[in-house]
Amino acid sequence: MREEETFQDLTSLFAAEDRALEAKPFVDEVMGKVRRRALMRRAVLLAVGGVGAIVAALQMPGLLGDWAALDNTVVNSIASAQQQADLLASSNPLWLGIAAVVGLCVAAVATMERA
Amino acid sequence: MRTDPDLAADAARGNEAAFAELVRRHQARVRGMSRRLTGSAAAGDDIAQATFLTAWQKIGTYAGGTFSAWICAICWREFLQVRRKTRPEIEFDETAEIIPFDRPTDRQDDRMDLSRALEQLSEAQRVCVVMCVAAGLTHREAAEATGWPLGTVKSHVLRGVEALRKHLAKPEVA
Repeated sequence: MREEETFQDLTSLFAAEDRALEAKPFVDEVMGKVRRRALMRRAVLLAVGGVGAIVAALQMPGLLGDWAALDNTVVNSIASAQQQADLLASSNPLWLGIAAVVGLCVAAVATMERA
Repeated sequence: MRTDPDLAADAARGNEAAFAELVRRHQARVRGMSRRLTGSAAAGDDIAQATFLTAWQKIGTYAGGTFSAWICAICWREFLQVRRKTRPEIEFDETAEIIPFDRPTDRQDDRMDLSRALEQLSEAQRVCVVMCVAAGLTHREAAEATGWPLGTVKSHVLRGVEALRKHLAKPEVA
């Protein structure tokens, strides 16, 4: 049982006051503000997203240029390492054995880590 | 007719028409509550609008139960925010027997006796009467909304209703 049943007469008086309030203008005003806020939110999100996209697009040429330079560096390093390994192997074959042992150790460690 | 929780679920998915229906259903209760808490139609309607805008933002947090209790709890918090801005030096005291809040009352000749009688109550009694008698919340719902002990709310409602009946019975008021 709800407690207000003991003062139903007063509740009815208050309810009569409330019923006299016109709903439509109030509802329209609230919903107008809701829609304006939604529009504002969308506009802000679009503006911020647009600015972010433009900034990202401006970074692309530099990023691609850096990537090409990095790519060249990696290729050159591999070629240089091969040349140096050839030189070492031709001067002293022991280096090939050392390299093989190191390779085996690395492979063993990698296998143990995965297990 | 669709229930409040159904409409709230639709509103949480962004359905503005569902929310508009909720506003239409509960506007009288919320406006009545905020007008009686502030003592002013204009200030009350401002709080009621803020209440529904907050409700729209937080509709996803509505977890069932009585929608009127949920929306009235938001209205109470909006009222407290306005009250703190208006009189930041006075903390709300539910035991106070004075009326500390400077209420901008509407001095209209056609104001109903009920509103005048309501103004004679202490602030705490008025809050409890407005929530439990006028807005139709249960004592427990009002206690949860205000954060006051259930016994305190019951006591304020009891004394407030008694005082209200006494004021309404006076020949100069009635």
